[in-house]
Amino acid sequence: MEYVSVEVNGHTRVTYTDPATPLAVFLREELELRGTKIGCGNGECGACTVIMDGRAVCSCLVPLGRTDGREIDTVESLGDPDDLHPIQRKLVERGAFQCGFCTPGVVMSLVALLRGNPNPTDAEMRIALQGNLCRCSGYVKLLEAIGEIVREGLHER
Amino acid sequence: MNAEFRVIGQPRPQFEGPAKVSGRAEYTHDLTLPNMLHGSILRSPHPHARILSIDLSKARAMPGVVAAVSGSDFPDLKYINAGPAFADRYAMAQGKVRFVGEEVAAVAAETPGEAQAALAAIEVDYELLPAVFDADAALAEDSPAIHHKPKLPHNVAQQSVADFGGVEEAFKDAAHIFDATFEHGIVAPICLETNGVLAQFDDGELTLWAPTQAPFFVRKEIAHVLELPLENVHVRSVVIGGGFGGKSQAPEPIAIAAMLSIKAGRPVKILLSRHEEFLSGKSDHAKKMRVRSAIAADGTILGRHTAFLVDNGAYTHMGPAYISAVRQRTCNLYRVGAAGFDGKLVHTNKVSGGSYRGMGSPQIIWAIETQIDEIAESLGKDKLEYRIEIANQPGDTTPMGWEIGTCALAECLAEAGRRIGWAEKKDNMPPNRGIGFAAMINPSVGVLYAEGNFACVSIDLLEDGRLRVGTQSADCGTSQNTVMGQFVAEELQLDTDQIDVLHMDTDETPPDLGSAASRVTFVSGAAAIKTAKTFRAEVAARLARHWDVPVDKIDFTDGIASYKDDNARRMTLAEVAVLEGAFRVEDRHDIDMPRPDPKTGYGHYAATYGFGAQAAEVEIDPATGHVTVLKVVVVQDIGRVINPLALEGQMQGGIMQGIGMALREELVFEQGAPVNASLITYKAPRISDTPEIETVFIETNDPMGPYGAKAGGEHSINPTPAAIANAVAHATGKRFRKLPITAADVLETTKSRASLDLKSWKRPYNLEVATARSLYPSVLFPGLRKLGAKVGRKRAPKPSYDYFRPVDLDGALRELAMPGRTAKVIAGGTDLQVGIRQGIYDPDAVVDIAGLEELRGIEIADDKITIGGATTIAEIIERDDIRAIHPMLTDGLAKIATAQIRNVATIAGDLSQEKRCWFFRSGVQCYKAGGMTCPCYAVLGDNRHHSILGAGRCAAPCVADAAPILTALDAVVIVTGPHGTWRVPMKSLYVWSGETVVKKTEIIRAIEIPRFPLRSRQAFEKSAGWDGDFADASVAVNLGFEGTNLATACISLGAVSPLPVRAVETEKALVSGDFSDTAIRAAAEKTVHGALPLSDNAYKTHLLVNLTERAIHRCLAG
Repeated sequence: MEYVSVEVNGHTRVTYTDPATPLAVFLREELELRGTKIGCGNGECGACTVIMDGRAVCSCLVPLGRTDGREIDTVESLGDPDDLHPIQRKLVERGAFQCGFCTPGVVMSLVALLRGNPNPTDAEMRIALQGNLCRCSGYVKLLEAIGEIVREGLHER
Repeated sequence: MNAEFRVIGQPRPQFEGPAKVSGRAEYTHDLTLPNMLHGSILRSPHPHARILSIDLSKARAMPGVVAAVSGSDFPDLKYINAGPAFADRYAMAQGKVRFVGEEVAAVAAETPGEAQAALAAIEVDYELLPAVFDADAALAEDSPAIHHKPKLPHNVAQQSVADFGGVEEAFKDAAHIFDATFEHGIVAPICLETNGVLAQFDDGELTLWAPTQAPFFVRKEIAHVLELPLENVHVRSVVIGGGFGGKSQAPEPIAIAAMLSIKAGRPVKILLSRHEEFLSGKSDHAKKMRVRSAIAADGTILGRHTAFLVDNGAYTHMGPAYISAVRQRTCNLYRVGAAGFDGKLVHTNKVSGGSYRGMGSPQIIWAIETQIDEIAESLGKDKLEYRIEIANQPGDTTPMGWEIGTCALAECLAEAGRRIGWAEKKDNMPPNRGIGFAAMINPSVGVLYAEGNFACVSIDLLEDGRLRVGTQSADCGTSQNTVMGQFVAEELQLDTDQIDVLHMDTDETPPDLGSAASRVTFVSGAAAIKTAKTFRAEVAARLARHWDVPVDKIDFTDGIASYKDDNARRMTLAEVAVLEGAFRVEDRHDIDMPRPDPKTGYGHYAATYGFGAQAAEVEIDPATGHVTVLKVVVVQDIGRVINPLALEGQMQGGIMQGIGMALREELVFEQGAPVNASLITYKAPRISDTPEIETVFIETNDPMGPYGAKAGGEHSINPTPAAIANAVAHATGKRFRKLPITAADVLETTKSRASLDLKSWKRPYNLEVATARSLYPSVLFPGLRKLGAKVGRKRAPKPSYDYFRPVDLDGALRELAMPGRTAKVIAGGTDLQVGIRQGIYDPDAVVDIAGLEELRGIEIADDKITIGGATTIAEIIERDDIRAIHPMLTDGLAKIATAQIRNVATIAGDLSQEKRCWFFRSGVQCYKAGGMTCPCYAVLGDNRHHSILGAGRCAAPCVADAAPILTALDAVVIVTGPHGTWRVPMKSLYVWSGETVVKKTEIIRAIEIPRFPLRSRQAFEKSAGWDGDFADASVAVNLGFEGTNLATACISLGAVSPLPVRAVETEKALVSGDFSDTAIRAAAEKTVHGALPLSDNAYKTHLLVNLTERAIHRCLAG
């Protein structure tokens, strides 16, 4: 039987799970990394965003089989509640989210953006986050927080 | 910030922030229990039918299935909802189904897949009944009766008529009468977390984990419909992913999961899919409202009357509250002499209405505020000054009997005007800009619901000296837990980091109606303060006993209790906890007020009233009708700001939802089922839509509120649609009577130029199509629908399929050619995997080619660019060397979808995606889904997104952006199959929308795009619902110049025809060499020659011409 070997948050994981399984389901159910949320399952809301080989993707649309030999970063690779990544701390302090369900996906889109482009313009921020639907915040405080993250260089911890 | 307070008025991040931002917060979706089963619900495919029989036996025998239930497994009891008089819905359908999506049966199985598969084995025999979908039509005596409610008129669930102060007399005395009818559709709450539940029934005790705004209400309803003692039902605390009213009732999955758990003897979890959430989740109510105003010569409102229908949907949940919201705004917004209303709550065979932020107030305010604008205009008054003149004032008593206490509405309006710059801008508005104003009034928590008039709060002193505040109302993300903590911290003079808050838990926290009607800060907050006082008294009493001193000699500051006369006697709370052990106090706050007259509704509705004003500035694009909201100012009389960070967030989020309500959001139905039940087609605002939002709070320090605060949660959304609509009217000079005001509606207003000559008669094919369409209503549609239902192809989502990942192209071709199965290529998978769930693809296997090197990469040669078929859109648009050669390719493809999608979606996949027709995609048995015996639903249905050119039996347009771009660039598609490789010019690639000449055993290996010897000027223009949405129209223009002379023109049109057609006449006209504005316009108008629009998409003809004109100008500008 074929297996998939994927590096998740720096750890190699080998699995015999059905390779058609969406990566989001594998992360949540098999690895119990439930920070990755599923808001639609169709790539429309971005709540399940993870970083695959440096790029933000909707993990609900990545078949597990395709991750073989690839690197995946989930929200759990950043900080934990007692030791937040500076980006995460800024989002909390600035009230950049409310219910928080979209937030892990927003964080991963943001990290992917800043890794490739540490000084994005307002337009570039909006393009990078267009795929992350947030119903609570109206995005105003999120954009303000990202502005501060960029100005303060917080992504380079 | 206020110096008199310690934590009140300070921006405090929400307590749950660190857990949420790190992905550690546990939502219902994330919970598991040992031995847990997964439940799945079978839903009615019919809008109205009698259930003749349900056979669960085959489903019970399916692998992994442990329990299956249908309506007869439940007690003969109905949900209480708005009150016993309105109860009309069983926990699961019994006897009849009344809307598409109604719960008919359910199973619990070991895995979600097994539960899903078992649904297909449930046999239900229906007798179809005629259905009615429109409130007006449902009132007709000959329309189908949805319920049997003998005390009420046909299909009416509630009627409400009143006259306060003789409103018809006012119309007799009026100098001016204004009379207009307004309507709007259904807006969905769209919580990012869908509804779900984990239910555990064990030894007579039912424990529930569910995202609900009101555990109190859920417990009461579930105990009732399942006939369990109230004390045996327990709702536990979870983190909630958004509410907005969408989680304010007892969602049906809760009782169903509970019953499955009772039957199975194991815990059962049900999570709704996004599609189910749209289908069955209770949203806003649609309304039709006729608003009349009687106006004196000086502008005084002598009377206002609203006659209105509220579309209740199949069952009564919160419909009566929507009736009430219209009554309240009609009678109380601005100073009104007399007021009256005549409202009916009407059943239709659509999903039941629930509640959504504002409970219908935003739309009635929009109707009234539109009329206020018209009154001001007609009287020659400034629209802001007029509003200030008629603003409610402190001390007023309204016709409905509301006694206004603190009220800064006039100040709010004036300040909103100042901040938007009305005085400076009003006589100097640039073209296409507009400013609009609107106001709101909202009871700071109505006294209508008996159980809403009180709240209880507990405070536990924990063993480590920390405090735990307990409240049964649920924090859905609004920071209300943090605000509760701030109240307690302020009262006890502590810092908030010494306080935890436990919400929701019905065992651990005392009763509270929950977070609805903006009530938590105002009612539960007051209870928190009272309980904190009680806690302080308790500490004092205990220490007085311990130290044997009088209780009034105990001081309590900064978390330290001390004996006033002897400073050495002092204790921290931690020391108190060591001394006394952990203990709890509870207290209760009541709003002690007489309730309005139950018959007439006259009387005082709330302890106080919230007021606010908003100003919006918009800019319209006259070419597309697209409205950009530039700025919204909200000025809110909030009484007292408790937590500015949270409150600003409430305002900004509500305003953004209001923008969606004003401009984009509504559910679109076909035969009772929503066809835009996805987050692409239901167009909630995205980050690119975010305007500048300025929030201003006026602190009137209300004597009734906790520290002077008024309610706030829903106030933000209430005036937004009105302010936006008035701004759009200001920009366009036209009033709108329907929400949302779409780009198509705005475009209608900007058609100042002569109407287009479509020359449709020039195409003989059109005659045939037009004749067929004319026969659709009477003959073709009903006939084909019936025939198709009998003999048409049926679709069902594929429960599972094999996945192969070959190592090279040959291997992929071998897998595709394998006999005995249908295999599909998967590359990005962004269409295929979604399409499989929608039932539009049904492969036995998928062959993943995304990683195949032979299909990837970009090669730039002297004469051409070759792009591997499996190259992602992101990889293409990042290439500056491509942009230097073909800017249209990079910049055009950058308009596809979102970053996450572009990172996996491929160029060949974009070309190959299936049609995006919302009928085809939503499971309707249309011509393309069910075969030639079935009708096209676009002819009579909502066809705003469909083709205007070249449509035949199917009207789905080709919306792949790559198609017009590559057509205009004269690209060739290289296809490889078992019999070798062949080249397909773009113009021959498509057979129809979403259908190409590439066979199932073949793969698009690459795209070849020639480099032109001539100097090429290119532009791609696209208009879509939101940035990243599929196009409503697009055009790719590629002009080749020899020196300054235009030698070649290649123009291709997207999203207006089933094929990416070339605009040959336009091309010819351009090559003639006249580049005057008139000539370009005339050339652009030739794009629509031969167009034959449908009922709702004539706007596309103007859109296409305008986009083409703009693209040509862009090319010429260089």
